[in-house]
Amino acid sequence: MRRDIMAQKSYPAELDHLEQMLEFIDEFMVKLGWDRDMLFKIRLAAEEVLVNIIHYAYPEAPGKISIDCSTVKEGSRGVCIEIRDTGIPFNILEKPDPDISLPIEQRQIGGLGIFLTRQIMDDIRYARTKDENILQLVKNQ
Amino acid sequence: MELQLQMELVDGTAKILLGGKLDATNAPAFQEELKKLIGQDVTKIVFFSENLEYIASAGLRVMIFAKQRIGINAQVYLVGAQKPVLDVIKMSGLDTFMTIQETYNP
Repeated sequence: MRRDIMAQKSYPAELDHLEQMLEFIDEFMVKLGWDRDMLFKIRLAAEEVLVNIIHYAYPEAPGKISIDCSTVKEGSRGVCIEIRDTGIPFNILEKPDPDISLPIEQRQIGGLGIFLTRQIMDDIRYARTKDENILQLVKNQ
Repeated sequence: MELQLQMELVDGTAKILLGGKLDATNAPAFQEELKKLIGQDVTKIVFFSENLEYIASAGLRVMIFAKQRIGINAQVYLVGAQKPVLDVIKMSGLDTFMTIQETYNP
């Protein structure tokens, strides 16, 4: 995968820093010329993943989240947002989707976030290295 | 941007005015506010969403909570929502239990 534009930052894995993380991604998307509608959707997809890490990745000690934005190929506005943490191993892709056809009385309130992320992004990849969760969110066009 | 929230209960209709961003950082406070409506014989829950710029799944969960806990028989309205917010509501299937309107028409 060729990447000609990049931006990278890391943040404490805390809810207080969520807005900064999302703005960092927003800024990168704006530079690539994405419209408001897609900025909204990408913010939503990224928020779901980030909040999940903030809530569950570091149950015992404070940790960090690294965000690495890049274009998927030269001249394209296609974007890959790579989110890494060194918390407990967790593959968000293994979470089952909620059944959104259930009547409201029976709707489960969990799992909706990753379900939306899946609908918005073109590709989501997860890898676990020795000490890192690496999640890539890809939007091509 | 923060969440703007105003709520009033008139004759069984809970009018909830939402503005700004409804996300994981402020959804818990929003849910606490809505808890005040539990047991108040609410028949209609109206989310006035004209100025709501953003909603994440944490906000959607609060809307599901509202229906399940405040009044399972209450009618839920989503009024004046902007297209991106409406898209998310539809994507998550919440439109199946909401009456979606451009202007409030009970």
